[in-house]
Amino acid sequence: MATPAPAPESPRAVANKSSKRTLVAAIRMALRIESPAVRRNTQTFNRNRYAATSALADYDQLKDRTRAIKERAIAGLPELLATLEASVKRNGGHFYLARDAHDATHYIAGVCTRAGARLVVKGKSMTSEEVGLNRVLQEQGIEVAETDLAEFILQVADEQPSHIIAPAIHYSRERITALFKSRFKTDLPLDTGEELTRFARERLRQKFLAADAGITGANLIAADSGSIALVESEGNIRMTTLLPPLHIAIAGVEKVLPSRADFAPFLELLAASATGQKLSSYTSIITPPLHAAPVLTNSDTAPRREFHLVLVDNGRMSMRQDPVLHEALYCIRCSACLNSCANFQTVGGHAFGGETYSGGIGGSWEAGTRTLEAARFSELCTGCSRCVTQCPIRIDVPFLNSTLRQRLNQRDANKIAQLFSTALADGGEVAPLQKLFFGRYDAFGKWGSLLAPLSNWMNAIPGARLLMEKFVGLDRRRELPPFAKPTLVEAAKNCVARVSDPKAKAVLFADIFTNYGSPSRGLATLRVFQSLGIDVVVSDTCADGRAALSQGLISTAAGQARHTAELLRKHIEDDRDVVLIEPSVLAMFRLDYRRLLTDAEGQLLFERLRDHSFDAVEYLWAFMQGTGLDAAKLFPAARHPLGKRLFYHSHCQQKTVGSAPATEALLRAAGFDVATSNVECCGMAGSFGYKKEYYDLSMAVGQDLFQQVTEAESDGPRVLVATGTSCHEQLASGLKRPVFYPTELLAALLPQLDG
Amino acid sequence: MSLIDAFEKSATAAAATVERVARTPDQIAAAVARVAPAGPLAVAAPLYLPAELFDACRRLPGAFEARSRQAMDDCVVGITDAFAGVAHSGSICVCIDHEYAGFVSLLSRFHVAVLPAENIVERPADLFRPDRLNGDGLRRNFVFITGPSATADMGPLVRGVHGPHRLHVIVV
Repeated sequence: MATPAPAPESPRAVANKSSKRTLVAAIRMALRIESPAVRRNTQTFNRNRYAATSALADYDQLKDRTRAIKERAIAGLPELLATLEASVKRNGGHFYLARDAHDATHYIAGVCTRAGARLVVKGKSMTSEEVGLNRVLQEQGIEVAETDLAEFILQVADEQPSHIIAPAIHYSRERITALFKSRFKTDLPLDTGEELTRFARERLRQKFLAADAGITGANLIAADSGSIALVESEGNIRMTTLLPPLHIAIAGVEKVLPSRADFAPFLELLAASATGQKLSSYTSIITPPLHAAPVLTNSDTAPRREFHLVLVDNGRMSMRQDPVLHEALYCIRCSACLNSCANFQTVGGHAFGGETYSGGIGGSWEAGTRTLEAARFSELCTGCSRCVTQCPIRIDVPFLNSTLRQRLNQRDANKIAQLFSTALADGGEVAPLQKLFFGRYDAFGKWGSLLAPLSNWMNAIPGARLLMEKFVGLDRRRELPPFAKPTLVEAAKNCVARVSDPKAKAVLFADIFTNYGSPSRGLATLRVFQSLGIDVVVSDTCADGRAALSQGLISTAAGQARHTAELLRKHIEDDRDVVLIEPSVLAMFRLDYRRLLTDAEGQLLFERLRDHSFDAVEYLWAFMQGTGLDAAKLFPAARHPLGKRLFYHSHCQQKTVGSAPATEALLRAAGFDVATSNVECCGMAGSFGYKKEYYDLSMAVGQDLFQQVTEAESDGPRVLVATGTSCHEQLASGLKRPVFYPTELLAALLPQLDG
Repeated sequence: MSLIDAFEKSATAAAATVERVARTPDQIAAAVARVAPAGPLAVAAPLYLPAELFDACRRLPGAFEARSRQAMDDCVVGITDAFAGVAHSGSICVCIDHEYAGFVSLLSRFHVAVLPAENIVERPADLFRPDRLNGDGLRRNFVFITGPSATADMGPLVRGVHGPHRLHVIVV
C-alpha cells in the first residue's frame, strides 16, 4: 500500500513539505545527518545572543522603538513605497516594484542582459532564494557566483538554506571538506576552517575582480533618502556593491522604513539578536548608485555606475491585509526565534523549514509567499514561547503558528473528524482527529476520570494503545498520565481547612492536567500554603484554552479563556490571588489571553487576571519574603527523606513569564543543593512529544536535558524536580525515575498532621 | 571610562588592535611601519584629516597609488582615515565613496585606519543624529567596520575572509 518515501538523503527532496509524509521524512533525514552540526551551531548562536542582549542596557527600550517603527512602516507602506521610488530616482538609480517571483527575476535578468553581464556575483539574499533568481539568470546564460561562504557551500551542494542567516548551518567542517574534495578535483589541503576559507576566498576573489554585476539584498531601506543598510561579516557584500559597476539590490517590500534616522535602533539589536555581536564586522550604510566611488578597471575607460532597487511583493501586500499574519512583516530576519527553539536546535531548517524560510517565523513567510500548505512544517512549533521574549520586534511567533494550524486544520479534517468536531469543538471548529484529541483533552479527561480505573486499564492494553496510535496519532511508546480518581476538586473538598486570621488569600486554579492527571501536586500545594497561614480554596475545574490553542483550535480556546477568566474574576473580587500549578496555564493568563479576549471587556478581564496570577512557588516565595519566614527553618533540606541533592528543571513557559527563578531561590534558601538545566525546552512541550510523528524528535530534543542530569550526577544521585506536567512525563520516560513537583518535596518536610 | 578608553577596550574585544599616536605625519608613518608587513602599501587620500598627515606614509617602502583592479588586488597594507569611532562597539566608520578608501579598506590584507580621537561617539545610533559629527553619518556612504572580516561558515571561527585579515586603528 505504501509508495516509497522520497530519497531521505537529499534536502531538496524534502524542501516542499506540503504533505505530512514529507515532513516526517525530513525530520528523519535531519536527525540522521544534520543534527550534530545544527545543534552545536545554533546553541552557540543562542548563548552568544543571551550574552549580547543582556549587555545592552536599553534592550527593552530599543525593542519598543523598533516595534513602533515597524508598525508605522507597514501601516503606511504604500505611501512609503511612493516616497522611496522618488528618492531612488532622485539619486540617479532605478526603482522597480515586482508583483511576484516571475516579475522580479525577469526584470533582473533583463537588466543584466542589457548591460551585457556574463558573470554576476551575489551577496546572501533570502529574497533571491524565495524568487528563484539564480535559475532564471543561469537560463539566460549568465554565470552566478554566490560569494557568502555558506551560500557558496549550498551552491556547490545544490541545497536550500537551512537557516535564515547561516544558510549552511547544517554543515560540519568535516562534511564541508568531504563536499569540496568530491566536487573540486584538488590536491590543496582542505582539513581546517582556515584552509577551506582560503580555498573559497581565492576562487571568489577572481570572480569579484571579473564580475560585471553585483546582486545583494538589503537589511533596511530608508524611504526618505533611498539609503540601504547591509549587514555582514565576511566582506563579500561590500565587494559586491563596490567592485562591479552594476549593483542590483533585491528585497521584500517590508524592509522599507520611513527614514535613514530610523536605522538607529535596529543596528545594535539586529547584531546582538543575530550573531551575538555588538555590531557585525561590516554594517554598510549606503545610498547607491555610488557615483563618487571610482570604478576599478584594468583598462582606460571606466563605465558609469548603475543601481537598481527591486522590491518584491510576492504575497506581502496580501499578508499586510491579513489580521494575524501581517505581524510577520515586522521580522528583520535575525534568527533569534530559530536559535532559541529546542526543536530547531535539534533538526534545523531542512526539517523545520520550507523552500526558503525556516524556524518559528518561517511558516508565516512560506504561507505568505507560497501556499498555506507550504507552511506545514510550522507544526514543529510547540508553542513553548521561548522565542517570544527573544524577538527584537516582539513578534508573537507561536500565535502566528497557531493561526496557521487553525487554517490548515480546516483543510485537513476528514469526514469523521468533521463529525467529531461538531460534537467536541465549541463553535463547530473543525480539525483532524489528532488535533481534536489533544486540543479537547478536557473532555477526554472528564470521561476518563469518571470511568477510572476502567479507562486506565484500557490504556494499559497493548491493543488499545495501537488503536489510539492509529486513530488519534498518540505514539504507542508514550503513556498518557493515568486518570485520577478522586480528582483534585473532589479530593480538596475534604482537605480545605479554613485558616483563621489568614495572612493571605488565594485560589488554586484546578487546571485540567492537575485536576484529572495529577491531583497530588495540587494537594501538596494546599498543605504547604495552609501550614504557612494562607487561606486557600480550590476553584472549579475548567479548560483554560491552552490545549485547544496548541492545536490551532483558536475559537474554542477563546471561548474557554472567557469562561475561565469569568470564573476566576469572582475569586479575584473576593481578594484572592490566583495560584497555578501548571506553568503553561500561567503563560495563558499572563500572555496569551491578550490575544484571546479581544474586546474591551475581555482586555479588562485579561489585565486583571494577569496582574493577580502567580506560579504556586513564586507566590509562596514572595509570601515568605514578605512575612519574613525563614525557608531553612520551615523546610530544613538536611532532614528531607530523599536527601538534599536536587536537579531542578524549569518549564519553558515558566522561563518566558519569569517565574522560574523563585523556585530555585526558595529551594536554595531551604538548604537544598540545586543543580539546574539550561535547555530551552524538555522536548515534550505539552502534547507534542505524544504524537507518533514527533516522538523521535521529542526524544532527541530531550537528550540534552538527560545529558545535563547525568553530568550533574557525576558526584552522586539527585532527586528530579520539575514544575511542568509535560516535563515530568519527559524526564520520567527518559530517565525512568520519579519526578517531583516542588511543593511535593516541601510538603514532606511539614510536621505530620494526624490522620 | 573615557570614550577613547571604552573604544580601545571594545575594538580590542572585536579582534582589532589599537594604539594612540601624536597627530603628525612622521608619527603616523612610524606607527604604520611598526605594524605593517612588507609588501605593496596603498594609501587612500584622507577625507576628514588634512591630506598632508598621510604624506610620510606615501614615502614608506612599497607605497603606491592604486588605480587598477589588479594593483588593488595585490595590495598587502591599506591606509585610510576613519571619520568616526564608536565606543560601545569598537567600530570605526570609513567613507567608502571618497577616492579609493572603499577599496583600500576592503581589498588589502591589513587595514590601518587613522581615527581622530575627538570623533569617537558613544553608540552606533549616534551616527544617525543630526547634532553629532555635523550630521555626516546621515549623509555619507560609509561602513561601520568592527574588527577584521570573519566567518564561521566553514566550521570554526576564521578571521580574514574576503576583507582584511587584520585591522589596526591608530587614534590620533
